[in-house]
Formats: sequence, structure tokens, C-alpha cells
Amino acid sequence: MNATLDSDACAQEPIRIPGGIQPHGAMLVLAPRDLSVLQASANLTSLLTLKAGVTNPARLQDIVGGEALAQDVARWTEQEEGAFLRTCDMGERTVQVLGHRTSQGVILEFEAPPDSERETFEALYPRLRTFMDEITPADDVQAIAGHTARLARELTGFNRVMIYRFDPDWNGMVIAEDGDGVLPSYLDLRFPASDIPAQARELYHLNRLRLIPDANYVPAALEPAISPADGKPLDLSLAALRSVSPIHLQYMRNMGTLASMSISILIDGRLWGLISCHNAEPKRLNAQARAVCDFLGQIVSLQIGARERAAHAAERIELKKVEAGLLAELARAENYKAGLLENPAAWLGLTGASGAAVIADGEILVAGDTPPMEHLVRLAAWLKRLKVDEVFVTDMLSQHWPDAELLSETAAGALAISISRIHPSYIVWFRQEVVRTVAWGGDPRKTPVDPHQPLSPRASFETWKEKVRLRSAPWRESEIETARDFRHAIVNFVLKNAEEKAELTEALQRTNKELESFSYSVSHDLRAPFRHIVGYAELLSDREQSLDDKSRHYLDSIKDAALSAGRLVDDLLNFSQMGRASLTMTRVDMDKLVREVRMSLEPDAAGRDIQWEIDRLPPAWGDGPMLRQVLVNLIDNAIKYTRDATPAKIGITGEERSRDTLYRISDNGVGFDMAYVGKLFGVFQRLHRVEDFEGTGIGLALTKRVIDRHGGEILAEGTPNGGATFTFVLPKR
Amino acid sequence: MADLRPILLVEDNPKDLELTLAALAKCQLANQIVIARDGEEALDYIHQTGVHADRDPGDPAVVLLDLKLPKIDGLEVLERIKGDAAHRQVPVVMLTSSREERDLVRSYELGVNAFVVKPVDFNRFFEAIQDLGMFWAILNEPPPRGVHAR
Repeated sequence: MNATLDSDACAQEPIRIPGGIQPHGAMLVLAPRDLSVLQASANLTSLLTLKAGVTNPARLQDIVGGEALAQDVARWTEQEEGAFLRTCDMGERTVQVLGHRTSQGVILEFEAPPDSERETFEALYPRLRTFMDEITPADDVQAIAGHTARLARELTGFNRVMIYRFDPDWNGMVIAEDGDGVLPSYLDLRFPASDIPAQARELYHLNRLRLIPDANYVPAALEPAISPADGKPLDLSLAALRSVSPIHLQYMRNMGTLASMSISILIDGRLWGLISCHNAEPKRLNAQARAVCDFLGQIVSLQIGARERAAHAAERIELKKVEAGLLAELARAENYKAGLLENPAAWLGLTGASGAAVIADGEILVAGDTPPMEHLVRLAAWLKRLKVDEVFVTDMLSQHWPDAELLSETAAGALAISISRIHPSYIVWFRQEVVRTVAWGGDPRKTPVDPHQPLSPRASFETWKEKVRLRSAPWRESEIETARDFRHAIVNFVLKNAEEKAELTEALQRTNKELESFSYSVSHDLRAPFRHIVGYAELLSDREQSLDDKSRHYLDSIKDAALSAGRLVDDLLNFSQMGRASLTMTRVDMDKLVREVRMSLEPDAAGRDIQWEIDRLPPAWGDGPMLRQVLVNLIDNAIKYTRDATPAKIGITGEERSRDTLYRISDNGVGFDMAYVGKLFGVFQRLHRVEDFEGTGIGLALTKRVIDRHGGEILAEGTPNGGATFTFVLPKR
Repeated sequence: MADLRPILLVEDNPKDLELTLAALAKCQLANQIVIARDGEEALDYIHQTGVHADRDPGDPAVVLLDLKLPKIDGLEVLERIKGDAAHRQVPVVMLTSSREERDLVRSYELGVNAFVVKPVDFNRFFEAIQDLGMFWAILNEPPPRGVHAR
């Protein structure tokens, strides 16, 4: 809502080049080469005593006392020294002279000290020393702000001194105040960002102290208005006397303060806040007092900076501990996601969140209070569109993602880290809504902004209370940094896992190769002895026609045993080859293939009453010999397991669908218990006793492997003594 | 029908040899069966060298060649026979325990006439050997003597 106030008009006001100065001082702009006058303020002659007969000084020397001053200034201009500050006697008056260099000339500012000085210059510094002693290492930012407000008021004698702190959105909040009761207290009030527009904040960087002694002043114009040096208006960014925006003056008058001074608190180059001094009546402060205040501002900046850094470091250390513990758990876990789920407290504690989710590899896993799954899915899509590079953080998610308005109970604020450079994978922490009441120094919404009307400052400073909704507690810098660190750790984790996986694949390939050569030698060396046993048993039984029944039974048993062992070897080899052999995909006439397979299995069905119901089957796309193997296995099974059914019924149907082709082979045989359906396709899994139904237990595993390799799917359904149905689908080309 | 030429059986495993001979005996072929126990001996027979330097001239009706052999293995024997213009018409049947596709592929690349995986089931083994013997020793019309290359 504050954005409406931060109007373009405000932001565009040329506050650096106001074309005039505050009239409590006078200004000269000199050419650095010869100190000839380029520009002068209109009030120069009334404020300063000029040399007799001079009404319009052409050179610095034309000012009384100018000779000494001119020599000083000339020396200063040749040096590198920054600012210039002298106290000069000009006739009966003592004048303070401030100087700074600009590309448009040397700017000298003249100020006669105020009539009544509150304190002598010498008395100011001991106060600073006392202040330094007062601040104890235990003081937090709040306490330091309190000390500062008190001291600033002692130093300046303003009616009210406030310590004003900016939030990340540049709204200001009065965190400490000292006053004499003349002006109302603004303690704990908030002021919208628009009260101090961006270009004004920029000036607070350049020029740390700003004094406006009388809000009712009439600016003194510069003559000529345009700089002869470059034909542009004079840049008064660094001038103490720079005239301020009439809007700001009106703002002051509305606030009931006719004099103000502000001192910037800059921490690590960032505008942290202001020491803001106000007086109901006009009030001036001499340059030395201002310098002391500036110095105070710098001390306070350093002190607050140190406190904030210390607090930040302490938080970081705490969070680092949590992070280290969590990472150790992740390393022990099966994978990082499982590790997160197993350690929800640490996961949430990492950023002080109330809920968290990991969105990766097509799944979403959560801990704590999180939005419902369908919202998380949409959040993931939104984050993907947002192209989160490393970290996305907000204490008001609904401001960025309107869907979040409904999610304030779980996700008013969010902190997301992207954990993959390739995939849209994120870890997101959530914070629930914290409804707060914020007191504004006046309703920040009330100022109407009409681009066609002259800009007007707000007139009301009545406290206005706002209930802040849809916001979470703000994420601390330490928490955001911890999340950022954690992101690097996780990214490395995922990478390491990927490497391990690659290593595993390599090991697997090696193992496969070994298995392959193993199966090759088995193929040669294991089959042969079985063949020999069968062969010799056969020869023996041929030769010994007179064997008694027992001997013949023994001989047959030897033969059967060797035969089944040999078949097992054959099946195993078949199975292992099926995984390796390449597929030759063609259009397969399944109708023809089924009839052919049925014919080839005819001997197994000899003498049985089998009712075949075979539909006309649609063609498949696949490897002919392999699909033949599938049909042989399934039809052979159907024949085998209907052995006890009279009549046996075997049905084969097919169906062409949009993306695949489906085939179904059903029988009315012994069936199986669905409780064991998971075992059906495993190698060596048998659901029947070997003396009831022969077989090696590899056939269905082989069948599944063929279907898998075709990218298809096979399902089995059955009931004990109620028959079995095998359904497989093969993708179309 | 051409005169009965011998069958060259190349087999190193004595049991396989015995069983194969039993199978061939069962189908009562009149052909002489010459046995070579390794690849070198087989090539000696084909080329009338070494131990077979003094044999009667002429190619065998068929070579039943085991794939795994000492000294020179079956695939190499096959390659030599099929790579030699003087003998490439001799039918070669690869007999093997191996069910490995690569052996089959390689054999066909080298020009094998048939490839038989020895079945574990002895009856089927008999059938296979008998079929082979019958086909190659009796039914197959060999090229006229003296005609070597096409």
C-alpha cells in the first residue's frame, strides 16, 4: 500500500539542484584556478561585509578579510584535503566558512554562528567521551539507540530527537526517542517509505548531516542561476546550505516542527537509519556542533554495526550447528530427501520455519505445517517459472504469488532454494502468518496522488493503526545465509550421489560382464554332463531290455533328474540372454504366431479336452522370436495348470488401443492366490509343488523380462482353483 | 546317388564322441565315420596332411564339427575350410553345447551349413544327429569330384 505514496512526482523532484540555498548562510562559487567568482547567492552582500565600494564581488579577495581567506582557500585547492572549515573574522562578525570542490567550481559556504550557542565547542567532545563510556558491551541496538537519542538532544538542545530505523522496504520506525515534551512523542510509530523518497535517501549517503533551521525560510537564489562552468544548474548535493524541497518544508510545518536536523546512520555503506532532531521553533546549530553530531552519527553507526554483526555471527554459529548436525544425518540417510524427512526439527530449525517441503524428482515431501499438496504442486510450477537461481525469499508470499493469499495459515512467508542446476528442484521453508498491529505516523494510504496537481505532503500525523495480514515474521539475514549455505551442501550432496550412482552402474556393468562370461561357460560346461547322464541312461535302458521294474525306475529317475537340471540350465541361459540380446523390432502377426505356438504345443495337450477360444488378434510391434517365447510360456502354463479341469478352457483375446495393444490369456485352471501375485514373476518363484506341476520357475520371469524390454506391462490375476488371467500390453510403434 | 563318402566327426569330448557315434549307429548309415579329436587333426584330414597324409583322396560327405576344440577351435576350422577354395563346398555342421548367440552369428558369418545345439534330451539328440547324418550323408547331392570352385 505504501507504494502508492512513492509517487513518480516525488521521486523526480530535482532536490540536488534546487537553484537556491537556505538564507541563514551565503554561498560563493569560485573558479579553482584564480578564485574568481562564478556564482554568488543573492543574500551575499547582506550577510557578509564586502570590501569598501564592492557590491558585486568578482574575486574572493573582494570580501573583507578575503586576503587571508583567499590565501587559505588557494592553499587548500592545491591540496588533496577533503573539506575546508575555517572560522574567519569579517569586520565585527565571526563567520564559519565551509568549502568543498565540485566539477562546477569550488563552493564556499559562509555561516555566522547563531546568536546564542548552547555550549562551547570544547564542552562537546567530553560528552562524546562519556557517551562512549556509557555504552557497555552488553547493550543491544535498542539500548544504544536510547543512549544516542539522549546524547543527541543534550548536544543540540532540540525539542525531540528520534532514532529512526529503516526496514527492508524503507519504511521507517521510531525505535528510540528523547524529548522535552514540547513536541508529541512518535516512539514506536512507523512512517511510510514515501516520506523519505529514494533520491533523498541517496543524499543521506553523500551528505551525512542535514540542517534546516527554519522551515519558513525563503530561499536565497544563486546568481547567475546557471553555472558558467558547464551551463547547468549548480549541483548542491554536498552543500550544507542546499535548499530543500518545498514539499519537505510543508511536511515539517504540518508536523509542527520548524527546525530539523538529521544525521545518517550508515552501516557497511547502507542507510540503516537516522538520528532525527526536531524543534518546534526555528533553531540553528553552528558548524562545530554539527561536526560533533556527525561524529556521533559515525560512532553510533560503528557501534550498531558491531552489535548487529555480533548478533548475526551468534545466530549464524547457532544455525551452523543445526546445519552441521542435519548434514551429518543426511550423510547417514539413504538419500538426502529421506534424511530431511527423518530430521524434521533440524530441517525446520535451519531457517526457523513452521513447515518445509522438498520438491524434486517428481515428488514432494513435507514436514511441519505446509500448504496442501495441490498447492505445493502449483507452487513448484510457479517457482520454475520464476527461475529461482539460488534463493527466493519473502515474508509476504501473496505479494509475489497471489495463490498464497489462501495459504496464510501455513505459507504467508516462504524461503526457497533451488537445489539443482538442471532440474526444477527446490527446498522450500514456510512461515505462517503473524498478524501484527502496526502504528503509522498517520494513515499512509490517505495522501491522494494526482499527477496533475502539485505534490503535497501529508497533513496528518495522527497515529493510524493498521492490522498487517498475510505476512510472516521476517526472515533474518542469518537464516537466509544458512539456507544459502545449505543449498551448496545439498547441491554437492546430490552431485556426489549422482557420482556414486554412476560408480555403481559401472560396478554393475562389470558384474554383468562377469555374469555373461560365467553363463557362457555354464552354457558349455554344465549342459554337457547333464546331456551325458541322459544319454548314457538312455543307452543303458535301450541295451538292458531285461531290467526289472525297480532298476528301470531308478534309471528313469536318473534320466528325469538330469533332464530337468539340463532344462534349468537352458532356461537360465535363456533368461540371461533375454536381458542382453538386442531386440529386432518388427510388426508381428500375433494371430498367426498364436496359432503356430498352439500347434507346437499340441503334443503337451494330447489326449486332453481343451476348449480353445481364440479371437482374431491385432498385430503387435516387437521382436518376433521373443514374443513367441512369451506366448509359448503363457500358453504352455495355461495348458499345464488346467490339467485337472474338465473341460479345460483357454481363451486368448486381443485389443488394439490408442497407444498400445493388449493381449489376454485366461484359463480355468488351478489359478493362484492373489496374496502371492508379487512373487509370480520372480526368478525361481513357484506357487505350486514341483510334483504337482513341473517347471523351473523361470518361465514367467522370462516372460516379464521380455515384456519389460518392450516397454510394456504384464499383469496377472487369479483365484485359487478359479483360473488365472495374464494380460500384457505392448506399446505401439 | 553319389558314392558313400566318409563323415568326418570332430569331437574332443570322449563322452560326446561316444554318444554321437551311438546316435549315428542307430540310424544305420553305411558311411565310414572318420574321427578327429581336435581341430588340427580335422584340418589334416581335409588337407591330407599329417596323420591323414596317406588317406584316400576326396572330401568327406559332411563335417560334424564341435565348436570347442583343443589347439584349433571349431570356428577356426570352419573358417579355414570355408576360406579355402578347394574345400569350401564341404558341408560343415556345427555341433555345440553353446547356446550363445555370438557363436551362432559367427558361425553363419563364416559360412556354416547348419548349427545344432546339442539337446540335453538324448532322444532329441539322437533325432538331431540322425537328421543331420541322413541329410548330409545321403540326401545331399555333393558337387562332382574334381569340381572345386563355383
